[in-house]
Amino acid sequence: MTIFGYQLKLVRRATLPSWKAAVFSVLAVLFGLVLFSVVFFQAHVDPITAYKEIFSYAFVNTYGLRLTISRFIFLALVTYAFIIPFRAGLWNIGMSGQLYVGALAAFGVAYAFGGRDSSTIQLPAGLVIPLMMIAAAAGGGLMGGIAGFLKGRWNVNEIVSTMMLNFIAFYLTSKMIKEGGVFMNPGGRGESFELPASIRAPTIMDVPTTIFLVLILVILLQFLFAKTSLGYKIRAFGNNPMAARYAGIDTGKLSVLVFVMGGAFAGLAAYHYFGAVPGVFKIPRNYGYFGDLAFYGIICGLISMGNPLAALPVAFFFGGLSIGGRFAQGKLHLGFGIDYALLGVLMITLVMFQFFYRYQMMWMKKEE
Amino acid sequence: MLADAKATRGAQLQNEFVVAEAGEVMLEAKGITKRFPNGVLANDHIDFTLKSGEVHAVLGENGAGKTTLMCILFGLLQPDEGEISIRGQKMDFRSPLDAIEAGIGMVHQHRKLIPAHSVIENIILGHPQARGVLKLKQIEEEVAALAESYGFKVDLRAKVWQLSEGEKQVVEILKALYRGAKILILDEPTSALTPVETEKLLDSILKMTRRDLGVVPFITHKLPIVLSLCDHVTVLQRGKVTARLQTCDATEQILAKKMVGREVIFNLKRPEVPTGAQILKVENLSARNNKGIMAFEGVSFILQEGEIMGIAGVAGNGQHELAEVLAGLRKAEGGSINFLGQDITNMSILNRWRMGIGYTPAERTDVGSIGAFSLVDNIFMNYYFDEEFNHKGVLDYKKMQRLTHEIIEEFDVATPGIDTSAHSMSGGNLQKIIMGRVFSRKPLLLIANLPAQGLDVGATEFVQRKLLEARSNQAGIILISEELDEILSLSDWVAPMYEGKIVDFIPIAEAKKETIGAMMAGSYQEK
Ligand SMILES: Nc1ncnc2c1ncn2[C@@H]1O[C@H](COP(=O)(O)OP(=O)(O)OP(=O)(O)O)[C@@H](O)[C@H]1O
Ligand SMILES: [Mg+2]
Repeated sequence: MTIFGYQLKLVRRATLPSWKAAVFSVLAVLFGLVLFSVVFFQAHVDPITAYKEIFSYAFVNTYGLRLTISRFIFLALVTYAFIIPFRAGLWNIGMSGQLYVGALAAFGVAYAFGGRDSSTIQLPAGLVIPLMMIAAAAGGGLMGGIAGFLKGRWNVNEIVSTMMLNFIAFYLTSKMIKEGGVFMNPGGRGESFELPASIRAPTIMDVPTTIFLVLILVILLQFLFAKTSLGYKIRAFGNNPMAARYAGIDTGKLSVLVFVMGGAFAGLAAYHYFGAVPGVFKIPRNYGYFGDLAFYGIICGLISMGNPLAALPVAFFFGGLSIGGRFAQGKLHLGFGIDYALLGVLMITLVMFQFFYRYQMMWMKKEE
Repeated sequence: MLADAKATRGAQLQNEFVVAEAGEVMLEAKGITKRFPNGVLANDHIDFTLKSGEVHAVLGENGAGKTTLMCILFGLLQPDEGEISIRGQKMDFRSPLDAIEAGIGMVHQHRKLIPAHSVIENIILGHPQARGVLKLKQIEEEVAALAESYGFKVDLRAKVWQLSEGEKQVVEILKALYRGAKILILDEPTSALTPVETEKLLDSILKMTRRDLGVVPFITHKLPIVLSLCDHVTVLQRGKVTARLQTCDATEQILAKKMVGREVIFNLKRPEVPTGAQILKVENLSARNNKGIMAFEGVSFILQEGEIMGIAGVAGNGQHELAEVLAGLRKAEGGSINFLGQDITNMSILNRWRMGIGYTPAERTDVGSIGAFSLVDNIFMNYYFDEEFNHKGVLDYKKMQRLTHEIIEEFDVATPGIDTSAHSMSGGNLQKIIMGRVFSRKPLLLIANLPAQGLDVGATEFVQRKLLEARSNQAGIILISEELDEILSLSDWVAPMYEGKIVDFIPIAEAKKETIGAMMAGSYQEK
């Protein structure tokens, strides 16, 4: 393209400072929002009003903001569940399954201490709550570890195995909380028993304390990848498996480890999502829906390009949009699924804009 | 002798084909300048002219900017300044597609074929004609005819992974030619080829130039090839053209001096080193290759401190697999390896590194380095487990930065800095980083697989001196090379390898070039 003797050129970037990456992401979001206004026009809604509703509910309204933060905690944890194997070059598509098994384990602890049938628990909550969290992490980690082991030992494709494990976890959960399992709600509402209020996670200013998990993890993970030999091994494996083997890295063990870690984070996310706040374990009726919980983790992980710190604003933003979008949909009587459509469009523009992470456009004077 | 070879080749070809009228300028590049975002000025106002019917060599030290210049001519990189014209017409290449359309083909330093696909599929892939309905049969016939006319022998239905390096090279060339390339750029085409394959390739290249007016800028570090094949030479130094000459006026010494800017010693002095204790004892070792066929069998030998064992062989005779088994990257099928009195046959790679075994692989980008990593992280590949650099799981980056600087200094690596990523290093400089990294561990046993491949004359000499230095420090070294001269000038023992067997172990004092050459070729008869 030539304009006034200047020529537009694409140049591959060698490196990209992180602030520039951030600027591109913001531009991508703005672009996506403008693009999506078409949908609001179609529905005869002024896009400005719509966006105002969405953003003010998600990020300003105290009740909405509380939901946003809770959603953010969940998204950040599932994003980490995706990122760890991702940095090792492996795709964890099994977050749903890891979530379910993690939640089952957490509820198992509550059940074991009589949390189903009485509202008071013998043991102090200060003991039961950490136990539930540990159980959730262990359950998710075990579930992830299976896929990691299959990969490390027999090189079974991890995408296939995690998907299969998702089905198993889904049916196991259905059985346990809906179809006769011991976790069934005595009221028969097709969900689990409710956790007694005393063993729900404590909150500070209405924010569940599980947020500290996220804050601790982001520091640990940044440190892991920047400074430790484990992080180094994960990065080496992810970038060039053959070189990693040459360097003496036990790639089989590492596959298990990253999946156990990822699964454990998914388990913690499950604890937060089912155990900490609502205190009840519900699942969608049909398999087709159950993905969307965890698949946001994949998208957030891809958008933040595996960077644990960058994952936080991304998760916060998408957490807010999903809350605000759902609210605006109800309030403005928009069609069903507008909130998902908005999220989808933004995700696509964000991934599209990653083109500019790699290429640079330059105007150059054309010599005659 | 080389000049003779060239003359006879030329004479044969003259009879076969009409000799093109040489002299028409086919490609002209003027003032090509390229500065990478990291500040490296890889090409600095380069003028370059190609005439029809000539084979034009581009020479230069590692990192001189040869690959960069060729990528610009092929449209893979865009120059900051300068222009390219073909047959007098100005060109503006946005991408290789433009260059292909203009009749340029390129075979890269690192092959870019898809292993799981067949040869013919690889040739068709991305071909403009392949968009519509595939007339596979017709295309196959055309390609076969093309191959035939240049004397290339390759099974078009074979899968690429089954091919030798030389055959892959031929496929790349056929691919370019089938797209109508009149100008063929070959970036280090012979680095990975066996002598026989090289010989065949050179013949075909000459045929091309005589016949189609195909002009072949030819990048290589092998000076004898330059002298025997090429007509013109352009020498680059730090991104600038420093000399243009005709091969009839040149000798190896002259070329080397022009490239490096100083006298290069071609004869190394191998000091006497008293041999020490036994380091390595290999008994009846065997292993399979990637296709599951026995790669080598019944290999037994002993290596002592201060000795270099030169394994001489044409690629594909099992020496590569032998190196991998010794390094731990490949499982031994039978036999045993004893290192310093300990059986290490089934020991993990990591423990072998820890015990003082060092391996420099022949595949630099695939195995020896991590492209996206900085140089610092690349050097960590052999140190992340070392207590000196790993304090309870936390890596000591300060110390590693110092070591990286030291290696860069000692090995004279051309790079803008320690944070440069490996994939923006030139081929030879990357090899220096890998060698420097492994040498810096002061291994007791060093397995060097094609250490000088792709290195310029100066760097080759340097690496060879380093090998001798390690030997003086009582290291035991297994040197794998296809260059007989290299083997003969460095080794204490020469072990020619043919079809998975070590033919003989010959002390250097008794080693004769002709005998060893015959053993490598499998034509040696015991008297
Ligand atoms: N993508 C890149 N980004 C930044 N610098 C680069 C890049 N590619 C090459 N360079 C630098 O440009 C210089 C020239 O590199 P080039 O690959 O052209 O050398 P070369 O002459 O082909 O060397 P060799 O013989 O080692 O292959 C080197 O200093 C190299 O580090
Ligand atoms: Mg090069």
